[in-house]
Amino acid sequence: MIARLSLRSAAVGAALALSAALVAATGGSPAAALRALYQGSLADPTAWTATLLYVAPLLLVAAGACVSARSGMFNIGQEGQVLIGALAGAWVALRLAVGGPVLVVCVLVCAALAGGAWAGLSALMYRWRGVDVVVSTLLMTFVAQQVVAFAVTTPWLLQESRVGDAAVSAQSNRLPAGALLGSFGEYPGLAVNCGLVLAVVAAVLVAVALDRTRWGFRLTMLGRNEIAARHAGVRVARLGGAALAVSGGLAGLAGAVLLTSPVGANRLQPGMSVGVGWDGLLVALVARNRPLLALPVALLFGALRAGGGFLAATGVPPYLVDVVKALLVLAFVVVGRARDAGER
Amino acid sequence: MTELLQLRGISKRFGPVVACDAVDLTVREGEVHGLLGENGAGKSTLMNVLLGLTQRDAGTIIHRGKTVHVGGPRNAIGLGFGMVHQQLSLVEPLTVWENVILGDRGRVDRAKACADVEAVAARYGLPVDPLSRVDRLSAGERQRVELIKCLRRDPSVLVLDEPTSLLTEAESAELFAVLRRVVRAERRAVILISHRLAEITAATDRVTVLRRGRVVHTGRTAETTPPELARWMVGREVAVEAEAAALGVLVAPAQAAATTTAAPVLRVRDLRVLVGGTPRLDGLSLDVAPGEILGLYGVEGNGQDVLGDVLAGLVTPDGGTVEVGGQPIDLTRPGALHLAGVGVVPEDRRTALVLDMTVAENLAMKAPMSAFPNRRRMRAAAGRLVEEYGIAVPSLDAPARALSGGNQQRLVLARELSAAPRVLVAAQPTQGLDVGAIGDVHRRFQRVADQGVGVLLISTALEEVLALASRVAVISSGRIAGILPAEEATGERLGLLVGGA
Repeated sequence: MIARLSLRSAAVGAALALSAALVAATGGSPAAALRALYQGSLADPTAWTATLLYVAPLLLVAAGACVSARSGMFNIGQEGQVLIGALAGAWVALRLAVGGPVLVVCVLVCAALAGGAWAGLSALMYRWRGVDVVVSTLLMTFVAQQVVAFAVTTPWLLQESRVGDAAVSAQSNRLPAGALLGSFGEYPGLAVNCGLVLAVVAAVLVAVALDRTRWGFRLTMLGRNEIAARHAGVRVARLGGAALAVSGGLAGLAGAVLLTSPVGANRLQPGMSVGVGWDGLLVALVARNRPLLALPVALLFGALRAGGGFLAATGVPPYLVDVVKALLVLAFVVVGRARDAGER
Repeated sequence: MTELLQLRGISKRFGPVVACDAVDLTVREGEVHGLLGENGAGKSTLMNVLLGLTQRDAGTIIHRGKTVHVGGPRNAIGLGFGMVHQQLSLVEPLTVWENVILGDRGRVDRAKACADVEAVAARYGLPVDPLSRVDRLSAGERQRVELIKCLRRDPSVLVLDEPTSLLTEAESAELFAVLRRVVRAERRAVILISHRLAEITAATDRVTVLRRGRVVHTGRTAETTPPELARWMVGREVAVEAEAAALGVLVAPAQAAATTTAAPVLRVRDLRVLVGGTPRLDGLSLDVAPGEILGLYGVEGNGQDVLGDVLAGLVTPDGGTVEVGGQPIDLTRPGALHLAGVGVVPEDRRTALVLDMTVAENLAMKAPMSAFPNRRRMRAAAGRLVEEYGIAVPSLDAPARALSGGNQQRLVLARELSAAPRVLVAAQPTQGLDVGAIGDVHRRFQRVADQGVGVLLISTALEEVLALASRVAVISSGRIAGILPAEEATGERLGLLVGGA
């Protein structure tokens, strides 16, 4: 245990040292970069607010990834499921004649259903034609990107309406106020968006479902030994498909949160998923597929995202944050793998 | 005829198991030499030594009068030893010519490779299209590809391990005709590993019989008879009257079923399973009465693994029915057999356990479970089973992986028996266990049978079958060749049934 901890801190330390070296190599000052990261993410309530806005979708995606990874149906297409969720949410918000708080609930539910259905397509492809789930979920992401791009450039779908002679962009109209998620607290104090509450609740529910229910028990059996699961009478195809759909549903929900919380422009835009699907997957990877462990990890990733915006002021290229993130993930994963290999 | 290959005093042990004990084997030029023996008799080990796949502990290999060193497979190929394994080792998505040149060095020359394949095919009468993909070929054609792969290297000694287990009658006949021609004309030799007596008598010039790692007989095939070979192979004392009864040995399953008094608790009728177009179960029928242990004996690869998979709910048969306690079971429903009261101890423990889950979880896996299982109750139940079945575990929360093979097997048994089954299907239940664990498993079987459970014991170990079973059914080529009461199950009669004679 202690050996593992020290190994892990050594690996993380190495990753950080390498990151510092990279900052120095690109002509920046590591200390200044670190200060900028801190100021952008954790220094004051405003920074915390920004960080937490990213934590919510990251945590939702990660919680879903935990479900699919546990069942052995490895879903890596969350980026696309996020987009499809946002698309469905935007359509409901802009086209459905519902008012008041019911609307935001409709948006969230439909986004989750759409994300789940998108992932469910991969489950069907696997069942009928034996298409590898990893491959199909990944490729479906690119399809999803095109679908969203199509939707926001097609007037009768979701492209923004022309006002006067202004040029229209490839984006939807702004969502009505009734479709947006509220926050607790206000600028300049700490504002906690309802999306975060939703994400934490989802992570806790997933943790309970995986470790305390028959469903989770069977899911674990399926993921660890499919034949033994069949021996025990588990309906393998159905359960695996359900796991994939749940993970897609949570990713779709993350899309709705991106759409309806103040993190973005409250419009459907082609690039609005901003890599949250990929990062959420990494959160689950670092958290070793444990949803509660994903909470602090999502916080770290959210902080890196929020702080990354402040890096530009120090002359360090902002994409360096992605490199740091990758190094950190590698450090965690390498240590995990080394330990597993040692046990074998 | 001159001696082409001599194995002298080959010994090999794996831990406490002596696989080959000073085995001598002489193969002459131009002959087909049969190597006969049960599973575990040492045939494969002996051949692996020859092929350089296993290093021997003692003994010498003499090839064309010279002592040779076989350090590894490349050595063996260089010396002209080739083998076609029972499990064909072809890469299915590749074409025939690609498979044939696999392992060659240097540039890949497609035209030359195809020409090579066609030349070898024409020379030996093994027609096959070098451009077709292996996964589109029938079992017989795949076998031909393996043969071509071997023959292209001009082997002086060719070893065939159960070459006909995947072939039809006509295909086997053709194969042996080709082999004879090749061997005679080109002064090569073939070592034919088989358990089929008819095949050995028909296709070989001389035969060596192995039992438990020792040579029990070697001589000209024409001077022996199938009953003699069966007796040597199985090695049981033969009853005085058995010699005379040998001819009327085939007992139809229907007849045997009539001798069972109680209504069968497990009734299998006309089970058919096709794997890749080849029938693995070919109209198999059997009955297990409550309180009896029915032994299903046969040489590996005759369909007993498929039967085990069907009864474990892993394979849906292409035809036939399974009834438990008179009720037909819908085999397409997952867990239907389990719910009907069929306990299964599969051949491979790893298919019954989730090794990364805890002992307690593994014990609870098949029990009825509420939507929110109570962990404490689960552990308590597991604790009781662990104690009752004497399973040595570091802790109830330890992964099943941490247990020894014997204790893993006890874990499976405990789980299956705690569900109070009406039928217990056990496949090779003592494979890989030490003596103590074997005795324990056997006592458990006897006890549940005494309690009225019908036990189907699928085993390739004759000793085990004879020690436990009240009736012995022999499986051969996917069907029941005959059923004998245990007291009439002499080695010779079983050997004849096993050999499909």
